[in-house]
Amino acid sequence: MYISINWIKDFVNLDGIDIDNLINRFTLATAEVEGIEKKGFDTIGVVAGKVLSTEKHPQSDKLKITKIDIGGKVVQSLCGAPNVEPGIIVPVAPIGSMVQGMKVKETKIAGELSEAVCLSEKELGISDDHSGLMILPEDTVIGTDIKDIMDIEDVIFEVDNKSLTHRPDLWGHYGIAREIAAITHRELKPLDVEDLEVYNNLPKLNIDVQDREKCFRYSSIAIENITKKVSDINMRIRLYYCGSRAINLLADITNYIMMELGQPMHAFDKSLVDHVNITTLGKEQTFKTLDGEERTIYEDTLMICQDNNPVAIAGIMGGENTEIKDTTNSLFLESATFDGVSVRKSAIKLGLRTDASARYEKTLDPEMTIQAIGRYVKLLKNVDKDIKIVSSVTDVYVKKYPEITINITKEYINRLIGIELETKEIADVLSSLGFGVTVNGDEMQVLVPSYRATKDVSIKADLVEEVARIYGYDNIVPKTTMGPLQIVRQEKEQTVDYIIKDVLSQKYALSEVHSYVWYDKKLNKELKIETEDNIKTINSLNADNNVLRASMMPTLINMLHKNVKNFADVNIFEIGKVWEYHFDGKPSIENKNLGIVLASKNKSEEELLLKGKEIVTNILKLTKNILPKIIDDTERKYSWINPINCGIITYNNKELGNISVLNVKIKDAIDKKLNSVIIEIKLDELNKIDKQDKVYADISKYQTVTLDLSLVVDKDVKYSQIEEYIATCSIENMNSYSLVDIFEDKEKMGDKKSVTIKFTFGANDHTLTSEEITVAKDTLINHFESNGAIIRK
Amino acid sequence: MKEELNKIKLACVQEIENAREVNGLEEVRVKYLGKKGELTLILRNMGNVSAEERPLIGKMVNETREEIEKELTTKKAKLEEEAILKSLENAKKIDFSIPAEDTLGSLHPITVVQREIEEIFKSMGFTVEEGFEVESEYNNFEAVNVPKYHPARDMQDTFWLENGELLKTHTSAAQNRIMRKYNGPLKAIFPGRCFRNEDLDASHENTFFQLEGMMIDKDISVSNLIYFMKIMLSEVFGKEVNVRLRPGYFPFVEPGFELDASCMYCGGKGCKVCKNSGWIELCPCGLIHPKVLEMGGINPDEYSGFAFGLGLARLAMMKYSITDIRLLNSGDLRFLKPIGLN
Repeated sequence: MYISINWIKDFVNLDGIDIDNLINRFTLATAEVEGIEKKGFDTIGVVAGKVLSTEKHPQSDKLKITKIDIGGKVVQSLCGAPNVEPGIIVPVAPIGSMVQGMKVKETKIAGELSEAVCLSEKELGISDDHSGLMILPEDTVIGTDIKDIMDIEDVIFEVDNKSLTHRPDLWGHYGIAREIAAITHRELKPLDVEDLEVYNNLPKLNIDVQDREKCFRYSSIAIENITKKVSDINMRIRLYYCGSRAINLLADITNYIMMELGQPMHAFDKSLVDHVNITTLGKEQTFKTLDGEERTIYEDTLMICQDNNPVAIAGIMGGENTEIKDTTNSLFLESATFDGVSVRKSAIKLGLRTDASARYEKTLDPEMTIQAIGRYVKLLKNVDKDIKIVSSVTDVYVKKYPEITINITKEYINRLIGIELETKEIADVLSSLGFGVTVNGDEMQVLVPSYRATKDVSIKADLVEEVARIYGYDNIVPKTTMGPLQIVRQEKEQTVDYIIKDVLSQKYALSEVHSYVWYDKKLNKELKIETEDNIKTINSLNADNNVLRASMMPTLINMLHKNVKNFADVNIFEIGKVWEYHFDGKPSIENKNLGIVLASKNKSEEELLLKGKEIVTNILKLTKNILPKIIDDTERKYSWINPINCGIITYNNKELGNISVLNVKIKDAIDKKLNSVIIEIKLDELNKIDKQDKVYADISKYQTVTLDLSLVVDKDVKYSQIEEYIATCSIENMNSYSLVDIFEDKEKMGDKKSVTIKFTFGANDHTLTSEEITVAKDTLINHFESNGAIIRK
Repeated sequence: MKEELNKIKLACVQEIENAREVNGLEEVRVKYLGKKGELTLILRNMGNVSAEERPLIGKMVNETREEIEKELTTKKAKLEEEAILKSLENAKKIDFSIPAEDTLGSLHPITVVQREIEEIFKSMGFTVEEGFEVESEYNNFEAVNVPKYHPARDMQDTFWLENGELLKTHTSAAQNRIMRKYNGPLKAIFPGRCFRNEDLDASHENTFFQLEGMMIDKDISVSNLIYFMKIMLSEVFGKEVNVRLRPGYFPFVEPGFELDASCMYCGGKGCKVCKNSGWIELCPCGLIHPKVLEMGGINPDEYSGFAFGLGLARLAMMKYSITDIRLLNSGDLRFLKPIGLN
């Protein structure tokens, strides 16, 4: 919203106040100012000149050689405006003057001298009108500086609309002036309005508010004998500087008051509308608004009607059929308050947001309607003194907001702000903003003015804000808090996440990615990733992205696909949320999973799978000090796993996740040469496990002996089977064993493989005798041999 | 005897002189000083020597032995030195300019920034709380004083789910749960992923990270908030930052503020980044609305508190000079890998 300093000066004396500084203070105390524009300061020396004669330029069809009296001097101008003719008085910029920053110089066009430029309104910067020269009133004194005729010099600042959403009172200059008066400790002048009481004896208008939910107040007056059509130049300049434009006198004043008081009004041609009923239509129907658009009106859109025929969309826009025309000489004036929520919803539904609807959305103060009518009549009379008021003010007041009184003490305010103000100082601040303050000892009884009481101010904390911002946030001295010393316990889950992120990025050179929480159906289809149905969003802008993920893998495989063209190895992970939903309308279940993809064009699937197992093992060791057991995945729930090489990660028979080679269909869709392994760990399950204690086992003081045994077994015998077997043997004095090597060679060994294991023997209380060692070794070998294994010597 | 010893000594010294390797030297040692060495044999044959001469000869033998040992040690050191020099002559000169193997991965820039900020808050006694991404309408709106019919609740900004839940639009959705968890004084931050249903461009994402903080205690004031924000932001940016408050409206705070920090690029003098104002709008904050405290089970007459929000995506973009927010969720390793671990 644009604010004119000239306009503000109608209500607050700003003499001696630096405007830039004032605007900065306004930003800190009231609302953000987005920009400041100085208008007309770079137009200097433009005067009123009278055209004496015009003569065709010998070598130009368009230009006329124009002689102009600029007061004591006649100058020649080459003027191309269609409306130039002897006798008119126009703004003239002679040599040496400046127009919007451009210096006027003597020039010659096709041999003829130009000593001055005649200006249109657009060239002066006061409207978009460039159809011809601006014509000044006949009684203008020749040679007068243009700035003495009209207020082209002004400072305009733009207030961020978003910072005003909660302040319906600030949607007009008068409200802004009230803030500025409070900030500068100056007086706010009352608004000059017509006394409407004198018309009380005139007949009332017929206003029937039928929808008493959506229409809060409807006030109206009728005026006849209107003869003037054009607004005063200064009013037109203000409208233009503040982002609107002049149309005709009757409409201009409604716009002017909307910008001044914040009260939208609508002017109907009274010959077409002289009584109204306010209602919804109950059915869809078309309606042509005054911007010439044919629109669909919905059954719940509040309409202003005459005998049930719509004439305006309440609070949004009038109809074309009843708008003010050049021939209009009588007026039915609407000044109303509508339910903000209803106006907003209608405006969104219609796709038609106007200056009026934007204000109604903010929950306007219904108390303004009569004041606005008084102001309208005043402003109209200023221009057209012969108008005739033909009705009394007719006012249907349906919903009056309750008066709000708040009891508050200075202690409360000082405590929450952290300052020391006296009751009187607080009362002064609140009074300057229009609050009624009654002091009763320590307590203040604060009456909230109607323009702040529609939603903005209702509780003590609201008053704290009023006092603090006018006192000045930058005057508050920062102070530390004085809380007691306490131990702070962090959530364990957070720590686990960070351990995992560190080990994956630092030890295994994985890169963390962030993906979206929904499936990309299109890409999944392309990559042959099949996902099951899950909970859906109902209003995603992209319908392909409406299913929330139940697993991290699809989105991570998408990421793999995106990177594979740039890298030979892609190693990525993400800790993210996944959802479980049973399609029963009940809340979904949110879980946190870790997803890992290891992919390489150089490494084999086996290498990657074993690296994956190492990673899983180390994650479990680091976070919980446990070892996983990976068992064959027989269920094969997911479409992205490889049916042969897929495993379930378990601990104590609880499933913690899965690890698998990437399904070959997906592999082929991404890149046939790329080997990939995918891992998913359910962190919520992992976090249910208590971290196991580490117990230090004494190192034996006595010597140990090792024995490497190479067992030749069938190729499909798993290492875990050998381990299980060793566990059943219970060999005396055997301390530990570890895998050294697995050797396979089709030519030499056929369907067999050699598994070399290093066994360590020893005792805690003595060095083993050679006899003991022999017994242990022989028992072990016998066990294996009797079970079918061959010991390779 | 003396002559004999001298002869042995000279012969031995000559052999030491001639030795070209440490091994050869050892042979010499064995030959003269070993169990059956020449010098040792003399001592063994002491039986033939008279009792008077014995100490004398013993002394002479020991002296000779010491001299030979000294020669051996000196020569050995010399030979070893020569061997090292020789091996160095043949050593391969390794090329240090060969690039080191890249064995580090990378953390997401949001993780890096989030962790830095968490560390600052933890050092000030804050807990780090985890929130949900799918939330109830109550937690996301009602409980933070965004009433029905508030424009923020309009369909188009929020991703609604088929069961009436929603993807949380702000971290504030966790406020109610955290207040109920502590039921009184608390200092907590809660980072999290948030969602807005809007079209993507270089500065708009539908999925982004925020970090919100709350401090609730007796007598928490605006003055405390300013102090705290100044300390915290100076730490975040690693330099002294000034802050100023402007009025700002957010339903869950009253009074509510927009906090500006003095521009960390120009120090407040005015530059392109701060549009010559010297200030950068950084985070919304305010005193927690009494209704929000009440809904969180905390008595607003007894306690007050402040809350603030930081845009982690924005901070990450500032830290790494990222100009397109969409890169953060792109998963593009060409962008992510160079950011590395810090």
